[in-house]
Amino acid sequence: MARYDYVEKAVKVSRREFLGIVGVAGAILWTGAYVATDLVHDRNKYIKMRAQGIYKDDKKSKVRQSHNNQAVTDMYKKFAHNPLSHLAEELFHTKYVNRTRLV
Amino acid sequence: MKGFQSQELTRIIDIDRKLCKGCDSCKAFCPSEAIEGKYGAVHRVDNEKCIFCGQCLVNCPFGVPQDTVDAVDQVISKLRDKQATVVGTIAPAVRVAIGEEFGMEPGSLVTEKLYGALKQAGFKVLDTNFTADQTIMEEGMELIGKIRHFALGEQAEHVGPLPQFTSCCPAWIRYAELYCPELLPHMSSAKSPMMMAGPLTKTYGAAEVWKVKPEDIFMVGIMPCTAKKFEASRPEFNSAARYWQTQGRSGDYPDIDVVLTTRDLAELFRRLNVDFETVAEFSDKDNPLAQYSGAGTIFGNTGGVMEAALRTAYFVITGTELDVLEFTPVRGLQGVKEASVTMKDAKTGKEVTLKVAVAHGIKQNVKPLLDEVKAGTSPYHFIEVMNCPGGCVNGGGQPINPMGTSWLDKAKAVLPWS
Repeated sequence: MARYDYVEKAVKVSRREFLGIVGVAGAILWTGAYVATDLVHDRNKYIKMRAQGIYKDDKKSKVRQSHNNQAVTDMYKKFAHNPLSHLAEELFHTKYVNRTRLV
Repeated sequence: MKGFQSQELTRIIDIDRKLCKGCDSCKAFCPSEAIEGKYGAVHRVDNEKCIFCGQCLVNCPFGVPQDTVDAVDQVISKLRDKQATVVGTIAPAVRVAIGEEFGMEPGSLVTEKLYGALKQAGFKVLDTNFTADQTIMEEGMELIGKIRHFALGEQAEHVGPLPQFTSCCPAWIRYAELYCPELLPHMSSAKSPMMMAGPLTKTYGAAEVWKVKPEDIFMVGIMPCTAKKFEASRPEFNSAARYWQTQGRSGDYPDIDVVLTTRDLAELFRRLNVDFETVAEFSDKDNPLAQYSGAGTIFGNTGGVMEAALRTAYFVITGTELDVLEFTPVRGLQGVKEASVTMKDAKTGKEVTLKVAVAHGIKQNVKPLLDEVKAGTSPYHFIEVMNCPGGCVNGGGQPINPMGTSWLDKAKAVLPWS
């Protein structure tokens, strides 16, 4: 016949201790979540600051459309004739590779 | 290795085994699920899947992933070589970020200082913004040709299908080539601004502007991007050499010799003792290849290529300039942005509504758009895709931790002894 010993509960937690443990665990979880959201927030903040820098450069430009860039027009006149010309296709256009077929 | 052409770089981003904490943060930013390793274990990059965007590198809280392609010493030796003409092409997003490496506020616009520093280091400049304007001419005309054919009923041969995708982002190109090759006919055939800068320098620049031999030019792409290093190594990009062969000149050289990231360029300035904060400003007014429009510079932001293309497409189709140049619907950090512009064709008098979409962050925002195009139900004519959230300003080659995105650096900053 099997014998069973009476063993007292190994971990005894009082109400106060339980509240303490939950509190500490909660604080740790909250810190983690805070750091993660903070990271994303900061990241967006510097993306926005850099983006503002770029828009500032656009705003202060005298010429703001590509087709009005005289230097580009001159380049086409002297060299590549016009967009999509034979020479432009050769130098400024490309083809893509289906990499799933490359072994 | 699978999925690479000959000569291409097969490894750019590498995770240091000794430093990786296995925290899985990088996986949350990886657009192509190229990072292997369970939570808690050391991670590694699978180069056959990696598109080299470097988002893991700029977002790792411990700064573990490293850019393994370092060309700084090679560029310095070329700068000292009297025979060589070193031409740098500066991407738009570099001028608002390089200041951060020297203690300036993020977003400080330092174009003149950057030109000055490059001049002091010995570079000639072809601004990538110039070729960005040129990209709009090439890519925009391609798009307008398609619109005239499909929407306005004009006869044309050899036009690709709509919608057209932008082709400026090398990580997006590699992503499409690896994971959705059926969409490649939709890709604009125009090269990226950097890859246009290469052949332009070695043909027009060599003959007309600097008057040097094309083979003596050493072309350096200065980019906010690690995937550009891969793009420059693609074997088909030697069109300048092929052009000169038809003109009776021999020699074989790539269009872009090496690529430096924004971080690499800062390192180069430090090694050459160029003091970025006090360097004399320089505007390079007499150099035609350093002239750019506002449309060229906004390529660095998400929605920028689209906005620049709309400004020109509107003019080409209607014959009149836009009253308000800012397209606010395509600006900002919303995942997928869309806009439509109604234009009256000056030639036929017909009205056409151009529908466009802008997506950034392949990881989160792009897949639904791609599925629509695959199913043939996409309502758009032109779709801009940038791999990095926010566009090139947040590229994988940009300065890390400008405001303490690294948790460790953030903690260090508040410690009294640091």
